[in-house]
Amino acid sequence: MARMKTPVTLCVTSGKGGVGKTSIAVNLAFALVQKGQRVLVVDGDLGLANVDVLLRLSVQRTICDVLDSGADPLESVIYLEESLGILPASSGVPEMVTLGPEEQAQLGEVLTSIMSHFDYVLVDTAAGIGPSVLWFNRFVDHNIILLSPDPTSFTDAYALIKILSRDYDRDYFYVVFNLVSSEREGRQSYKILEGVVNKFLDVDIEYLGAIPQDKVIHKAVREQLPFVQQAPQSNAARAVFDLADRIRMLKEKQD
Amino acid sequence: MDQFRELQESCPLKNQECPVIDELRRLKEDCKRLQELSQTDALTGYFNFRYLLSALEGEMERTQRTGLFTSLVMIDLDYFKQINDTYGHESGNKALQWSTDIWRENIRRIDIACRYGGEEFAIILPGTRLPRAVHVAERLRIALADSPVELDGELVRLTASFGVDVYKGRENLSAKAFIERTDRFVFEGKAKGRNCVCFEEKEIAVVPTGVTDEEKKALFNNPIGLKSERDNSKGFL
Ligand SMILES: Nc1ncnc2c1ncn2[C@@H]1O[C@H](COP(=O)(O)OP(=O)(O)O)[C@@H](O)[C@H]1O
Ligand SMILES: [Mg+2]
Repeated sequence: MARMKTPVTLCVTSGKGGVGKTSIAVNLAFALVQKGQRVLVVDGDLGLANVDVLLRLSVQRTICDVLDSGADPLESVIYLEESLGILPASSGVPEMVTLGPEEQAQLGEVLTSIMSHFDYVLVDTAAGIGPSVLWFNRFVDHNIILLSPDPTSFTDAYALIKILSRDYDRDYFYVVFNLVSSEREGRQSYKILEGVVNKFLDVDIEYLGAIPQDKVIHKAVREQLPFVQQAPQSNAARAVFDLADRIRMLKEKQD
Repeated sequence: MDQFRELQESCPLKNQECPVIDELRRLKEDCKRLQELSQTDALTGYFNFRYLLSALEGEMERTQRTGLFTSLVMIDLDYFKQINDTYGHESGNKALQWSTDIWRENIRRIDIACRYGGEEFAIILPGTRLPRAVHVAERLRIALADSPVELDGELVRLTASFGVDVYKGRENLSAKAFIERTDRFVFEGKAKGRNCVCFEEKEIAVVPTGVTDEEKKALFNNPIGLKSERDNSKGFL
């Protein structure tokens, strides 16, 4: 299937859970929308509480229903705003990923046709390195590794980069640090990761930025609202807007 | 009925109202109904034991041919005898229906839910690996434990013990033997205090990441120190 337009597709992965993938993916989406972009968030996490809960969505049709009925795949997208679509968790995507190669190809085609209506596609993946996480990481053009300066998150992120490069031929990764206490901590942590990656792996990584630990996030989660809207002046929101700017430069490079 | 349209049109005389064809259609419908009756459990609407055996055999054969694993989840309601003794058989039946309805909402359409007998159930998950099947079982366990049922005017929290196993097509195994093997994990769950999911832990090996000791050392023994000293003077604050 030929793509009508080529959106920038990104996948946010961390290896470890609770690093902020869902929060960052969703808020990044809102930030890009504010800059006039059309964004699709694909909820690739089977977890019971995710993007749909974060944003108080109720899912009507799943992508599986749509596939079965032969209806327009776009019907499984929920629009939060005119230019912000969500393809929800219960969409059955992760189950499909564990199915055979034909179903995977079909899923890829459906996703591609949905994605062609957007400028950016952000995939929020599950924790761990299960089949669906690996599948989405191969499916997208750009891999964002999200990690925090905490040792387990560090090792998990490194392990993820190693697997994706060794077994899935990925050789370029964007790195975002979350939960840092200062911008400097983000940069320092990145330097360490870069050093180890350069020493042991044959891949390139690029620093995209850092999001500070900020209590507005908890508040936003409790109220099921994106913090970039609820507290646009907060440190976390400003960092996400910066990240959105850097991601828009990826698009300029791609176009 | 659309599925019998062809029949209608097959009357050699091209009669719109053909009594022979009508009779044939009735027989076909009866046959379908009887077939459904012979395959399902009337109380829960799940497939019955006989169907479980033949469907499982079919899926295991498919596994041998395609290499797609078949997982099996066996479930036994906890303290069912006590429920019957305390609230009566009507309530016992209600508890069975309640649980099976909840589980039905939490599985895929391709999964095959069966009543194994009494208060024991089996769900076949075609094309499913063990970790995913364990995840499903965990979801079923939580869904039931989180929705108490009203029995005799009292809210009762039902729980069940789950056993999960996978058939990879590498050994010759009968459907019966697969069920028995999986059932052992249900017993293990009962022994562990019920309301839990048991399986062969060593089967779920984490993907070998192959992060070597040397790499780990490099990640942690760095001059700056991973948890760098907090610096609040510049940056975001
Ligand atoms: N920068 C941050 N500052 C404070 N809390 C955060 C930040 N990022 C994430 N959190 C909190 O961490 C928790 C896990 O975040 P979540 O986005 O669900 O992670 P994941 O999707 O990686 O599992 C949530 O409670 C969220 O509010
Ligand atoms: Mg998440």
